[in-house]
Amino acid sequence: MVLDKKDTRNIWEKIGDYFSANSIWMKWYCTGCGAIEMPPTMTSRFDMERLGMGPMATPRQADVLLITGYLSTKTLRRVIYSYEQMNSPRYIVGFGSCTINGGIYYDSYATINQLDKYLPVDLYIAGCMPRPEAIMNGFAALIEMIKKGEANGWRHYQENYEWYKKNQLESLGEVIINDEFHE
Amino acid sequence: MNAMNFIYAFLMLVFVFIFQTSLTGFNRKVTARLQKRYGARWYQQFLDIFKAMRKDSTTHGWVFDFGVIMALGGIMATVIFIPVAGFRAFPGTDNVFVISYLLAVGMLGMAMSAAGSGNPWASIGVGRALTNMLAYDIPLMIVIFTMIFAFDSASVGELAKMQQGMGILGWNAFRMPLGGIVAVIALMGMLGKKPFDSFIAPAEIASGPMVEYGGKHLGFMFILHEFMTFIEVSLIINLFFGGGATIWEYMLKYAVLYTFTNIVSGVMPRFKIDQAVKYFYRVPLAMAIIQGIVVIFTGLGVTIWF
Amino acid sequence: MNLNLIIIITTAVALVAYLVSKVNDKAGAAMTVVGSLFALIAVFLLRDSIGTEITLLYFNFNLTVTGWYFALVMLMAYSMTAFFNPFWMKKLIYPAGYNFLYLLSMAGTLGVFFAKDFITLFVFWETVVWSSAFIIQMGKSRQAAYVYYVISAIGSMATLFAIMFAYGTTGTFVINDAFGGLAAYPGRAIVIFVTFIAAGMAKIGIFPFHVWLPFAHGSAPHTFSPVLSGGLVKMGAFVALLSVTAFPAYKIFGGMASFRGIPLPIYFMMALGAISIVVGTLMAIKQEDAKKLLAYSSVANGGYILIGLLMLDQVGFAGGLMHIVNHAVASAAAFLSIAAVAYRTGTTKMSEMGGMIHRMPITYVVYLIAIISMAGIPPMGGFVSKWLIFQGLADKGLLFIAATAFFGSIGSFLYVFRPLSAVFLGQTFTRDLNKKEVGVFMLFPMVVLTLLSLLTGIFPNIFLRVVTEIQTSLGVLPVTLAENTIVTNNGFLDAFKVFIVFGFGFAIAFVLFIARRKSRRVELMDTYTSAEFIHTRELLHYSHSFYAPFERLYEKAPDTMKLYHKAAVKISEIGNFAEAIFFGIKPARTVLLVMGTVLIGIIAGGVLS
Repeated sequence: MVLDKKDTRNIWEKIGDYFSANSIWMKWYCTGCGAIEMPPTMTSRFDMERLGMGPMATPRQADVLLITGYLSTKTLRRVIYSYEQMNSPRYIVGFGSCTINGGIYYDSYATINQLDKYLPVDLYIAGCMPRPEAIMNGFAALIEMIKKGEANGWRHYQENYEWYKKNQLESLGEVIINDEFHE
Repeated sequence: MNAMNFIYAFLMLVFVFIFQTSLTGFNRKVTARLQKRYGARWYQQFLDIFKAMRKDSTTHGWVFDFGVIMALGGIMATVIFIPVAGFRAFPGTDNVFVISYLLAVGMLGMAMSAAGSGNPWASIGVGRALTNMLAYDIPLMIVIFTMIFAFDSASVGELAKMQQGMGILGWNAFRMPLGGIVAVIALMGMLGKKPFDSFIAPAEIASGPMVEYGGKHLGFMFILHEFMTFIEVSLIINLFFGGGATIWEYMLKYAVLYTFTNIVSGVMPRFKIDQAVKYFYRVPLAMAIIQGIVVIFTGLGVTIWF
Repeated sequence: MNLNLIIIITTAVALVAYLVSKVNDKAGAAMTVVGSLFALIAVFLLRDSIGTEITLLYFNFNLTVTGWYFALVMLMAYSMTAFFNPFWMKKLIYPAGYNFLYLLSMAGTLGVFFAKDFITLFVFWETVVWSSAFIIQMGKSRQAAYVYYVISAIGSMATLFAIMFAYGTTGTFVINDAFGGLAAYPGRAIVIFVTFIAAGMAKIGIFPFHVWLPFAHGSAPHTFSPVLSGGLVKMGAFVALLSVTAFPAYKIFGGMASFRGIPLPIYFMMALGAISIVVGTLMAIKQEDAKKLLAYSSVANGGYILIGLLMLDQVGFAGGLMHIVNHAVASAAAFLSIAAVAYRTGTTKMSEMGGMIHRMPITYVVYLIAIISMAGIPPMGGFVSKWLIFQGLADKGLLFIAATAFFGSIGSFLYVFRPLSAVFLGQTFTRDLNKKEVGVFMLFPMVVLTLLSLLTGIFPNIFLRVVTEIQTSLGVLPVTLAENTIVTNNGFLDAFKVFIVFGFGFAIAFVLFIARRKSRRVELMDTYTSAEFIHTRELLHYSHSFYAPFERLYEKAPDTMKLYHKAAVKISEIGNFAEAIFFGIKPARTVLLVMGTVLIGIIAGGVLS
């Protein structure tokens, strides 16, 4: 995403990125089967709190939106809503092959295949499903990226908002809402 | 009241923030060890707070911002009134009622800001927090009332001083054993430790009052939480565990008591809010009243027992 | 200007207001503003003539500092609320009558507070009761006026009995002499004490009599509720004060059994005050109507006032006296702000509105300051008076009373927060999106009351100096005041310093807040909903049965009003039974039976003796 490798951050941004990298609060968007991999990552075997990571209750509080599986068009709308409620700097981690290419649901009429057409994904963790080891490795990579100032998905989203919006609308279509329970 | 007082007050705030935040980090480690984990780094709490302050934030209108400022302002003012090992930034203002009611300004500010976000979870959380307060405060206030009657002073610093120099048996927790137990249970309620943490239940009501905070607002809430913890634990240390003759003694006692509540919290499930009220109004309230009757009508506990 | 002139002029203005209102009701309502403001200023200027006595026709007045203090509180509530009157004229059936009775009841209260003898006291008392009863029935329900009148009548009759009994015992109607002479008859004194204080308790709304407050405050015209709660209730406090000072209760009951230095008859009354704190708090927590909630909070605060006054000591008594001012100011401000909201939305039901802060920010601030004072949180006035009452209780070691006082104090956080959250915070209803703040004329009294709340909290000694004068005039040791400090046995309070330190903390937090980047403003509806799309504002507002888990714990507790209904049914059954006996099919047989019983009784009595 960043073509120029030169570090253009000033000292305050570097310090800020250091804090961001070492304190990652996640909002888990638990679709599909990936959510089951999170408890072992959190508890005593792998203990992700070592890296300063932890789950948070709402998108307002979180830094990372973790999408753990396939997204149907119905859930995609919720994911976009959640992402737009988050405060920058914000990151998205795509989890499992479903977010990369649709995984085993690649030919379903109801799912989307490529998450990064709709939202700026900073990091993918491949696998079906990725084991906690892979998750920990993935997050170690994310921490490095944030530290170096390379995890700029949220900026990219701002700059290319029209492109993302167009893709989102194409896939979701316009919805006319009549009441609370029907879209 | 001159400039020196304000400088002392500011230094005290800085000290309290650093001390309590480190202790919180240490206690995250303790909790992790209880769960057979390594846990976070000891300075993790600092990283979390600075990270939150660094982020962008969203606001829901002026009351959302104003409530946060009022909350932190009120709580910091309360911290300034707390006597620490004989030190008081503003001499003669450590009346126990002033402290416990000025604390309410901060809580009101937080409640106001949370409800001002327009999120129903926040309102539910605030409702629970206030109910919880009604539960734990009555037994505690009865014990404190008894103490004021017994020692003819409502100054926290004075009450702490009266317990010193007589060894461990001079502490009010031993002179008034039932009252001491009530105080520690009430402290668990005040700190929102399990089993009395239903108002911030993250999975049930999405962390209650905190639901809409992000960025600097959330950072403020974290700082506020550290200060609030300091006020509550200090109150109990000063009133029941003899305060401290030196700052080191005070910090040691403080750390032990705070870690103790964390360890208890680590192995507890969660009460529903009405269960918490029922519990407080059965066991601790009865103990507090018995303690009060014993002290007021027999004088036992005013002097050291033996 | 002397007191006679003030009473005559206000009554005259009342009559003029009646006539003017027949032509133009708004002009008549403006007369109430003028009349009440005139009375306020005139009574304030009476300060120099305190200690004099004056006679108007058959009525004798005695200008005491106590009466002056109470009268100022009362007139403050009347004059500030009067600013709202012109806006409510359209909603009243009898605007002329309202304006007339408003000023008449105000003139009546002056007579009560400055009365020298019982006849004056009673006549003016009844004037107030009758005129306010007629105003209350102009509101939502007639039943409210019935309940108010019945409870007031019970109190008044009890007082009349006490007055007559005291007259029979000591042979004078002059308050101080009539009660002072009772020391020789402790048996009669108890009866007189209990019956005399009954009227005061009925008026403050102490436990068995508290049922009228929610009815009357809840359904009186919105402009009269502040007067009821901020002013008229304090008339009861005045009677309670008389019953421990003019009636030297501590002297007369001194020889009796006592509990921690409080003679049992007085302790019993204090216990009733404690019960009303608990009942008022618990009932206020579960109300759905903002005005009824505030009415129950008046019950609870009345309990504090009664406990403070009955202690008659250096500290607690001063607290009780000061709480009269604080509660009057805070309660009037809270009722006025709810009235302002009701003026715009047309309802006082908390579940029918929300988010009014975005429409009416100044009204919100007024309500906020009012409740901070009402809940006894520094740096507002309510804290100072509650602090004094707590210190007084701690001095005496009155454990059970103190426990209820703490309960009421913390419980008040719960109930005052409800209207704040339900009416002002949360989501704005679609209906209210285009509502505006009320006009300057209505904001003025609210802002004045708010500033008064702040003044009592930051410089309480301005008010406490008057309180010490009252204490001195009543022969009680006055509370010790230093420059900014209040000194008690258990420690001291420097309210100004507390305020400064609070300001210091606030300043640091403010600087820290604006030092960071500005926040992004989002819509109120853009809030965390577990990523669900919700488009109806009303559904995203949590206000109905706010403390449901807590309310569930005492939902089975008996309702006093239901008990009264049951009692009424039982009494009418007894009446029916008696009626059936005496006016049944064969009355002659009943008469014979009764006469026979009496005859047998007499004979048996004669034989036995």
